[in-house]
Amino acid sequence: MLTVLITGLATGMLFAAVALVYNVMYSTSKVLSVTTGHISMLGGVFGAYAISVLQLHWTLGLLAAVVAGGAFGALTELLAIRRVLNRSDEHLWLLSTLALATMVQQAAGLWWGTEPKPFPRLIPQDFGVGVMDQKFWLPIGMTLLMAIGLELFYKRTMYGKVFMAMSEDAFAAQARGISTDRIRLMSYVLSGALGGLAGFAAGQLTFAFFALGLTLTLNGFIALAVGGLGSNVGAILGGAALGLLNAYASYWFGGEYQQTIAVGLLMIVLLVKPEGLLGDRQVRPV
Amino acid sequence: MNSLTHTHKAWLLLGGLLIATLPGWAGDQYQLHLASLIAVYWILIAGLNMVVGFTGQLSIGHVGLLCIGSYAFAVLAGKSGWHPALALAASGVLGGVCGLALGLPSLRLPGFYFAMATMAFALIVNDLVLAQVDLTGGGIGLPGPLFPAPFDSPSGFYYLVSLLALGVTWLSWNLGRHMWGRALISIRDNPVAAQSVGVAVFRAKLTVFVFSGVTAGLAGAVFASLQSYITPDTFVFELSLFFFVCIIIGGRGSIIGPFIGTVVLTALPELVAPLAKLGNFFYGLLLLVVVLVVPEGIGRVFDIIRERLRPRVVHREPISPDLARLDRALKYKP
Amino acid sequence: MTNTAQLQAVSVSRAFGGIKALDDVSLELRPGEVHGLIGPNGSGKTTLLNLLCGFYQPSSGVIHLGEQDLSQASVQMRAVNGIARTFQKPRLMPMLSVLDNCMLGAWIHADAGFMSTALALPHVGAQELDIQARAIELLHGVGLGHVMQRQASLLDHAEQRFLEIARGLAMQPRFMLLDEPAGGLTHQEIDHLADVVRTLRDNGIGVLLVEHHTDFVFRICDRVTTLNTGKMICHGTSEQVRNDPEVIRVYLGA
Repeated sequence: MLTVLITGLATGMLFAAVALVYNVMYSTSKVLSVTTGHISMLGGVFGAYAISVLQLHWTLGLLAAVVAGGAFGALTELLAIRRVLNRSDEHLWLLSTLALATMVQQAAGLWWGTEPKPFPRLIPQDFGVGVMDQKFWLPIGMTLLMAIGLELFYKRTMYGKVFMAMSEDAFAAQARGISTDRIRLMSYVLSGALGGLAGFAAGQLTFAFFALGLTLTLNGFIALAVGGLGSNVGAILGGAALGLLNAYASYWFGGEYQQTIAVGLLMIVLLVKPEGLLGDRQVRPV
Repeated sequence: MNSLTHTHKAWLLLGGLLIATLPGWAGDQYQLHLASLIAVYWILIAGLNMVVGFTGQLSIGHVGLLCIGSYAFAVLAGKSGWHPALALAASGVLGGVCGLALGLPSLRLPGFYFAMATMAFALIVNDLVLAQVDLTGGGIGLPGPLFPAPFDSPSGFYYLVSLLALGVTWLSWNLGRHMWGRALISIRDNPVAAQSVGVAVFRAKLTVFVFSGVTAGLAGAVFASLQSYITPDTFVFELSLFFFVCIIIGGRGSIIGPFIGTVVLTALPELVAPLAKLGNFFYGLLLLVVVLVVPEGIGRVFDIIRERLRPRVVHREPISPDLARLDRALKYKP
Repeated sequence: MTNTAQLQAVSVSRAFGGIKALDDVSLELRPGEVHGLIGPNGSGKTTLLNLLCGFYQPSSGVIHLGEQDLSQASVQMRAVNGIARTFQKPRLMPMLSVLDNCMLGAWIHADAGFMSTALALPHVGAQELDIQARAIELLHGVGLGHVMQRQASLLDHAEQRFLEIARGLAMQPRFMLLDEPAGGLTHQEIDHLADVVRTLRDNGIGVLLVEHHTDFVFRICDRVTTLNTGKMICHGTSEQVRNDPEVIRVYLGA
C-alpha cells in the first residue's frame, strides 16, 4: 500500500514539475506550449544517453539533460512562439507548438528508438529497497527544490521581478525599457532547463521513452489546470492530487482507466471551479 | 457565399470525371486502394473541416471518433451479424453521440484546454479499446467486414466510399455557403461580434461538433472495411494530427482547399518514398512551415502569386449613402 | 403597430474590483429618438453601453426593455430582443466579403436549421436570396454599394464603421447602440453618419450615441445624458445640456 502512495506522489511530482514549466512559460508569453512535456522527455533521453551510452558520470548526464531541456525551450520560443505572437489569430501558437512537439517526438523516436529504455542508477542503491528507492525520492525532492527555487527567484532576484512584471502587463514592461523578446527567451530557456532536470530526476520512474512527451504534456496540464494556472503551489497540489488519484485508481481498477480518471478529475474541477484550486478569476475581454 | 463561376464549374466537371472513372485509369490495385483511402479520410475531414476550418475549434482528438466508428462497425457487422449498411448507419449515429458526449463538457473551455480535452479523449478511447478485450479483441484487434456485392470488389468499394464522400462534401458545401457558414466563421474570427448579432455560440459549436462526430463514425466504418483488419495501434494520435494538417494546409473556411490537402498529404508519402520514412515528422514540419509562413493555407500562396502577377488596383471611392434606399430597406418588413 | 417600449437602465451601478465604474445611473432610450451619451474618459460611457447590451451585468439596478427585465439576459438574448450595437474598434470577419459581413446580421431572422441548410432544402435558398437582397439595399443605403464584394480586411476605417452599422441594421433592431462611431471619420463622413442616424430615427429606431465629438452629438441628438466619474451629472435636451454649467466645467470647457 505504501508503494502505491509513494508511486503516486513521485509521478505526481513529475506532473507538478511540468506544471511549473507551464507556469514559467505562461508568465512571459501567455502561451501554453504543447512542447512542455517533451522537454522533460528530452531530459530523460539525453541523460540516459550520456550515462548509459557515452558512459559519462551522472553529473555530466545531468548537465546534458539541463542543456537539452534549455536548448529545446529556446527552440520553442524562437521558432514556435516569437513569430506567431504578433499575429492577430490567437491560436496559431497552439498549432506551431503542436507541430514542433510532433517533430521532436518523431526525431527522438528515430534517434533513440521507440522502445522505453531503462534509465541508469544515479546513486548506488539496491533494487529491492522498495519504498526508499531513489526513483521515487529523486523526482519528489527535485520538484520541491524547483518550486522553492522559483519562489526565491521571483522574490529575491532582479530577473525574477522582471518576469513578474512581464506577467502582469507585458506592454507596460516594454514601455519601461524591458526587452520582452529577450526576457521571454530567457524564461523559456530557464523553464526548459528545469523541465530537462525534472525529466532526468524522474528517469528511473518513467524510463527513457520517446513517446513520453505527449502524456506529460497532457498530465502536466491537468495538474496545472487543477491547481490553477499561474500558481506554483497549485501546481504542486494539482500534481500530487493527480498522481495519487492515478496510482490508487490503477491499484483498485487496473491501469487501463488511468487516463479516463485523470481527465475525469480535470472535468470535475473545471466544472466546479474553472480557474483551478488556487487560480485567479479571469477578467472578461470586451 | 461564393457561387460557382464557369471556370469553377469546368474544373469540378473535369475532377468529377476523373474521380468517376478512376478504377479505369488507375495503375494498379494499390493505387485504387490509395484512392479509396483518400475518400475515407475525406469523409471524416469534410466534417472535421466544419469544426476546425469554419468554427475555429482546434479539435485534435477525432482519431478517437474514427476508432469508435471502426470498432462499432467491426463488432456489429462482424460478430453481431448485422447487415453492413445498418452497421454503417449505426456507426455514424454512435459517432454523433460520442461527439455530443465529448463536446458538451469541453466546448465551453478556452482553446488550449479544449485541445487537451480532445487529445485526452483520443488517448482514453485507445485505452478503453485495449481494455475491453471481450468486445474489441484487445490488442489482437478485429477483422473489418466487407460490404455485400456489388461493393465487395475493390472498385465497387471505391464507388461506395466515393459516393459517401460526395454526400458529405455536398452537405458541408451547403452549410458553408448559407447563413450557417457565416455564423460559424463569425464564431471563429470574432466570438464577441457573433454573440452581438445573436449567434448562440455554444449551441452552434456543439451542433457542428456532433455533425463531425457522425462523419467520423461513418468514416470509421468504411475505414475498418478498407483496412480489413483493425487493432488499437491503427488509431494512433498522429492520425488526428494528420487530419488537422490537411485542413490547415488547405486553408480554413474553404471546402476545396482541405480536399486538395487530403489528396496531396495522403498520396505524397506513398509517391515520394523518403517522405514515408519521415512519416509524422514530415507532417509536423509541414504544419510548422504553414503556420509560420502562410497561416491561411496554401490557397493563400496562390492568391499572393496572383497579386504579384496582376496587382488588383483598389479604387477608393468616398462613402455616399443612398438615404432613400436606406429608408426603404428599413421600412421593409418581411 | 408602432413599438413604444423603451430601453431603460434604472439606477444601475457597476463595480470592477474596488472601482465603481457606474454609480446609480439611469437612462432611458426611446424608440424614434437619438440619445447622446457624453462625458470625459473614464466617466463610464462604454460601461453603461456594455450593460445595456449584456456584456456586463449590473452590480445593482435593473435593465428594462418595456416591461421585460433584461438585467440577466445574455448578449445573444438581447440581440434577439432587438438590441444592436457597434464597437469602438470595429469587429468584422476579415476573410468574408462586405456583403457576407452585412448578411451575418440577419442571423436572428434566418430560421433555417442545421440539417435543412445541409440538405439545401428549397426554403433555405429562398431565405438566402431574401437576406441577400435586403443586405444589398442596406449597404447601398449606408454608402458601401461600391465595395460589396471586397474582402472586409481591405476596408479603410470609415468603411469598416459603416459596415458595422449596416450589419446591425440587418438585425432589424429596435435599438442601435453606437460606440464612438465618429472616431477617425472626416468631416464629410461625419455628415454622412449624421444623415444615416437621422434616417434610423425617422424609422422608429432608438439610437444611443456614445461620442466624444460633442458638436456632432449636439447637432443630431434629441436628448443627451452626461456622465462624469461614473455618476450622471446632467440629462435633458441638447440645448439644455450644452448650456449646463456643470457640463461646461467638467467636459466642454469655457
